[in-house]
Amino acid sequence: MKRLLICAMSAWMLGMATAAHAQTSEFMLRGFADIGSTTFTAERSFEAVLGDAGGTVWGGGVDVVLPFQIFVDLRASQYKQTGERVFLHQGQQFNLGIPTTVTVTPLTLVGGYRADFGWRIVPYAGGGIGWHRYRETSQFAEASENVDERFQGYHLLGGAEFRLARWIGTAFEAEWSTVPDALGGDANSVSKEFNETDLGGVTFRVKIVIGS
Amino acid sequence: MVRMFGPGVRVLVCTAVLAAGAVATDHAQLAPAGLRLLSETSAPAIDRGLRALDPPRAPRNGGPDITMTGGEPFVPGSIIVKFRPGTSLDAQRMILAQVDGSAGRPPSYADFDIVSIDPNADPEAAARRIEAQPDVEYAQARYRVHPRFTPNDPLYAQQWNYTTLDMERAWDINQGASPAVVVAVLDSGVAYRSAVVRYQARAFTLDGVPFRSLGVVDVPFAAAPELAGPDRFVAPRDFIWDTTLPFDLDGHGTHVAGTIGQLTNNSTGVAGMAFNVRIMPVKVIASLWDLIFNSPFQGTDDVVARGIRYAADNGAHVINMSIGRTGPSAPVIREAIAYAVGRGVFVAVAAGNDFESGNRVERLAEFAPDIEGMVAVGGIGRNRERAFYSNTGSYVELVAPGGNGRIGGAPGGILQQTLDFDVVETYLRSPSRYTAPRFDSFAYDYLQGTSMAAPHVSGFAALLIQQGITSPAAIEAAMKRYAIDLGPAGRDNEYGHGLINPRASLRGLGLAR
Repeated sequence: MKRLLICAMSAWMLGMATAAHAQTSEFMLRGFADIGSTTFTAERSFEAVLGDAGGTVWGGGVDVVLPFQIFVDLRASQYKQTGERVFLHQGQQFNLGIPTTVTVTPLTLVGGYRADFGWRIVPYAGGGIGWHRYRETSQFAEASENVDERFQGYHLLGGAEFRLARWIGTAFEAEWSTVPDALGGDANSVSKEFNETDLGGVTFRVKIVIGS
Repeated sequence: MVRMFGPGVRVLVCTAVLAAGAVATDHAQLAPAGLRLLSETSAPAIDRGLRALDPPRAPRNGGPDITMTGGEPFVPGSIIVKFRPGTSLDAQRMILAQVDGSAGRPPSYADFDIVSIDPNADPEAAARRIEAQPDVEYAQARYRVHPRFTPNDPLYAQQWNYTTLDMERAWDINQGASPAVVVAVLDSGVAYRSAVVRYQARAFTLDGVPFRSLGVVDVPFAAAPELAGPDRFVAPRDFIWDTTLPFDLDGHGTHVAGTIGQLTNNSTGVAGMAFNVRIMPVKVIASLWDLIFNSPFQGTDDVVARGIRYAADNGAHVINMSIGRTGPSAPVIREAIAYAVGRGVFVAVAAGNDFESGNRVERLAEFAPDIEGMVAVGGIGRNRERAFYSNTGSYVELVAPGGNGRIGGAPGGILQQTLDFDVVETYLRSPSRYTAPRFDSFAYDYLQGTSMAAPHVSGFAALLIQQGITSPAAIEAAMKRYAIDLGPAGRDNEYGHGLINPRASLRGLGLAR
């Protein structure tokens, strides 16, 4: 994942050095796809069950740029990882070999400001609200023992976009999100053991933006 | 060993004879004075149970391969779709295009299609989308159907203890552990092999009735058909006769071993908790026949302590001790248990059957609260209430089915295969009909006692070890954490932390549930 991000960043920097500058128009409707790496706030819980505190997130959505350099994004993404159920005792972890798949699917609405002053790079920042679907399924589980719940969260993000051509651009973006009280509610969970309740985290992503 | 005979139920009280004064030696002998092995084999075992002619078969070992499948309840990459009659192929293709799906050849014996979709797509969402179309009768993900492991042993239906523990769902997760897990049964021995042994049966007096000497007797032994199997037994040891031949001259140890590891799903007899484990028979208790045959040792504290250390040093992962005594404390046994736990061995001990006889402190069980990795086990009946005999006290940590003949009569006990008591306890006949015993005949018997409760916990520990919880302290913690609270809320002196809950412990913790 790191290698992918480095490649993308290199391509972006190369593009920045060679492509012509083009200021965005007053109104734009664009689509985008992205790939990123997220690290969950509930690091210990994710690491215990899934072997990693985060992982790859795929996403996409639509981006509307309005007058006064205001933008609104609607984005859907997904994180999915399979690990195994565990037992914890006095700091020791015992893996139980029962496959467990966690899927987090956020739908986010972002509003923000694009600092488009005719430079090659267009920095932007914003914040918004998200609806996060959390699913957890385990082998041998009865239906009631699996999880399929939705939680509301909030996030802030910032990044910079560079337009490679009239119809296509790329961006690097960082996002911090919080989804309070989504985890740690069930006594039969590592999140309860670790007292980790937030489903949010920090995500770095690369976007391909299409449209004008 | 004290036995009580209830109405229709054979009651085995676990309080063992632990007479003082025995002297231990460090060297095992194959044939010490008083015992002569005449033959390595004997006539085949006699099974007087319901299926006497069925030979034992190895248990089926066809559990799901948990490393090959993901945690989703469905198969990714495809869904099941049934179109309404008359829907044209073009219409079907247009509908399936909504989920980038394509139908292959219709499967045989089916009036529906299996539709391929993107492996990364959510099959449930795709099915919902397709099902919303008027031309579709139904659509669904291809949910996995799990086995519900119900042993096919014909007498399994009478083993209420496993239903009480929800073992069928627990066995779905872990089918009886594996031969890699060794459970030591420290008891009266186990019917683990065939042999003919020559003893000298001396005269004795039982309850004031004199019995004559039988002189030299050749006694046949056989392995319990429902226990034996290739490489089933490991490192057998007899600390009563100081040999490597821990024959069971009583039936108690064989019954206990059956609860732990009775061959299961072999269309014969009954089931056991952890039916794939290997059993280490370690004889530390002298039966009446051992005493009649003048065994050099009796079941004393030092013998038990040596048995514990032997098991720990010879590869046992779990030690079951359905034995105990009251009286003064037993520091030598406490030290031995601490030694075993320190070597990574989990220890389950019967909490005692003395409740109606003064509820005196059970000395082997009393250490349990102080040693993480050792639990003292009380007994419940099929009504999930403490059995009338089961000791209470601060040392009771968990309960398991021990049987209670006062609730439901004989079937209220715990059913396993053991020695046929009719040909073992010949001293219960009149002196004129008293004969030499034989230990090659078997039957299915209901017994009750905390002796019967402890092996449920030992078998459970074996399952947990196989599942991945290998530290004795963690095994105890996993048992207590998921125990079903009985009696007053929270820990209490009757039920401890509650009734063991194998399935929940085996499942452990998820990320959010």
